[in-house]
Amino acid sequence: MKERVVITGLGVCTGVGRGVKTFWENLTAGLSGIRPLSVFDASALPVRIGGEARALNIQEMTRQFPEAAGERDRKIWLGLDAMAQALADARIGGVSFTNTPLFVGVSLETFFLEDVSPLAGKENLSLALGNLLEKRDGRPLQTPLNRLTEILGNHYGFNSGRYTNCSACVAGTQAIGEAFRQLREGAAEAAVAGASDSVLNPLAMGGFSLLQILSTENERPEGACRPFDATRQGTVLGEGAAFLVLETLEQARRRGARVYAEVLGYGSSLDAYRVTDPEPNGNGAALSMTRAIADARLTPDAIDCINAHATGTPKNDVAETRAIKRVLGTRARGIPVTANKSMTGHLIASSGAVEAVASCLTLLTGRIPPTINLLEPDPECDLDYVPKVGREFNGRTVLSNSFGFGGQNAALVFGKGDL
Amino acid sequence: MVTPLGKSPDAVLRRIEAEDTGAIQSSGFDPNAFSCPVCCRVADFEPQPYASEAKMVRLMNRDAQFAVAAARLALEDAGVKVGKSHPAEEVGLFCATGLAGLPLSDITPLIEASADPEGGFDTGRFGHAGLKAVSPVLSFKILSNMPLCFVSINENIQGPNGVYTPWEGQGAQAVEAGMRALAAGDARCVLVGGCDVKTHELAFASLEQQGLFRSWGENGRGRPRPGGTPSTARGIIPGEGAVFLVLESAQDAIARGAHIYAKIAGWSLRTIAGGSDKSLVRVEALRALRLSTHLGAIVGAANGEQSRDREEKLILEAARHSAGVEIFPKKYVGDLFAAAAVLQLGLGALLAEQCGRSVLANCFSHGSVQAVFALDPP
Repeated sequence: MKERVVITGLGVCTGVGRGVKTFWENLTAGLSGIRPLSVFDASALPVRIGGEARALNIQEMTRQFPEAAGERDRKIWLGLDAMAQALADARIGGVSFTNTPLFVGVSLETFFLEDVSPLAGKENLSLALGNLLEKRDGRPLQTPLNRLTEILGNHYGFNSGRYTNCSACVAGTQAIGEAFRQLREGAAEAAVAGASDSVLNPLAMGGFSLLQILSTENERPEGACRPFDATRQGTVLGEGAAFLVLETLEQARRRGARVYAEVLGYGSSLDAYRVTDPEPNGNGAALSMTRAIADARLTPDAIDCINAHATGTPKNDVAETRAIKRVLGTRARGIPVTANKSMTGHLIASSGAVEAVASCLTLLTGRIPPTINLLEPDPECDLDYVPKVGREFNGRTVLSNSFGFGGQNAALVFGKGDL
Repeated sequence: MVTPLGKSPDAVLRRIEAEDTGAIQSSGFDPNAFSCPVCCRVADFEPQPYASEAKMVRLMNRDAQFAVAAARLALEDAGVKVGKSHPAEEVGLFCATGLAGLPLSDITPLIEASADPEGGFDTGRFGHAGLKAVSPVLSFKILSNMPLCFVSINENIQGPNGVYTPWEGQGAQAVEAGMRALAAGDARCVLVGGCDVKTHELAFASLEQQGLFRSWGENGRGRPRPGGTPSTARGIIPGEGAVFLVLESAQDAIARGAHIYAKIAGWSLRTIAGGSDKSLVRVEALRALRLSTHLGAIVGAANGEQSRDREEKLILEAARHSAGVEIFPKKYVGDLFAAAAVLQLGLGALLAEQCGRSVLANCFSHGSVQAVFALDPP
């Protein structure tokens, strides 16, 4: 018998807010978290804005996680913060996580250019690198991508599988989807899944700028990310983390846990098109949505709301719109589609996890966050995107989409938690 | 597979059995900079024959080039024609990728252009000159998911997928994810694999920092080189390559008349928690397989590092496993890290077919995830 799987704890830290309450109040109020960057001097870069998690308090987190002292990669701290919140929220602290698998999505190894600058002008680069390492006293030049997973695993004792998913912008959604699948199949009674990412550093910001997918509207940061708007220029990068506690319904009931939502289905797919562009007709995206809906044993007409990937790039938003129409048919125009990235920015690996939190809260609170900055609709993006202001929601399901660089796609279906 | 010992699985196995090593003195950088003087490189590799579009190759890092080639070889060997024998959306793809994939030479122009006269990082110079000094497609070489994406594009694979990083244990997780996708009916066949390149100086720097070269010298860096000959190898030999396997249900494989190398009879993935006894965790992983004590063959994880070699011997003794044939690929192919587990499993499958008995493939590795696989003959 397949287990039903529910969400019983949430933790989130983004530019829109830290903590579930603040995050949700700000997101549903349409407040943007995108500002001029302060985490590093971006004045010479073509893009100088981002969704920075300003409320992240590293000092406070260091007290809670002393083993992470000295970590410079912000995604470590964001992840620790979101995890601590999620476990506290689930009131599951103090229990043994020995049989609880952990699924963490991340994207890029963080590499600090200031660390390797002394190599400039050196004839024997290898020897210079070797000498550089000696002076670093064991501190790595790159933060290994499994670093957060291992810190969390050791701190909390997650000893039943530690998974580090690096599927770029779908990593968070895949992490949750794989956790859901393992619980549904009876592999464990609880799992913790989510993702953390920060690409707000010179190398990552510079690299993404070179791809010409970022908005350069530095003078109007809050209006720079405009999913589905005819004048959209590109996405805006952000940082953030979210973790979700997943439990079998049986265990959640047994311990009297609060249920935010039920995870109903998961699907993933590949565009197999180009690494530089999404498949223009949204075929790959549609396949992941179709798979998630089928996995939930639902039909498309049971989907009541979509939390869209909606990056604000010209190509992505059109492809996603086409994918939604392909999957939902005539129903596509009749349901709300919301774009959280208009406020959070694109959180890369963690975007799917943060949007999963928003999807659960939509089901719990009956509120849909707006798509802000949607003032001039693109004729090719002709769905109901909940423009400007949020609205009430009485539906029972939310489909959350994530589509990644290189053509990886993943989708989750959440159901109302009034079981 | 694309390995330092070749691309033919049979030939690679024969060379390992003959203790023929692929280890060479590290080149392309000054080997004196690191404690480990040797590596196992894939020689004379040309990615173009495996790429459906020549221009795609210039976007790929070396690990992705290996992945594209190994995936193509695996599909050809299996007789799987994506989009023909199997619908593209019913073929899954799960892959492990490694750390520090980019050679230092790829970012040296950026470092040079971004440094102030004193060698400090100057964000102004970075913004104005540094970014212009590198290829706009640099990001495609850095992102950990790109090898998988290139394989999917090259082969038109559209099914369920996932990318895991960075060690051998994550390669085992890619295999596990593939098997779960098959069991759940998400895919009719899955390509599972790993790719890694640990033969450039940034990878060496990363391994050195993580203490993986410790056994090459008591004093670490600066110790006289052992000469680089494999017979004197006293530690991990960084390698490079990619390995992919095609998995499908026995029923499907039989129905389409596929050549079946082996059946995955069981697997066990365990986590070494902070402070816990690594050996004990590995023994538990082995015991969980409930294998018979005398096996046809064992694909060992020993890598030439004395303490590791001794530990694996003791673990096998504790679990009371022995075999007529024992091979230790890492000593000859090098440690392929993210690709190592799939190589162990692939060689184990070959041995199972050849000896007609059960085979154990150990994927004991760096990192917390430890895996073992049991293979039965077809």
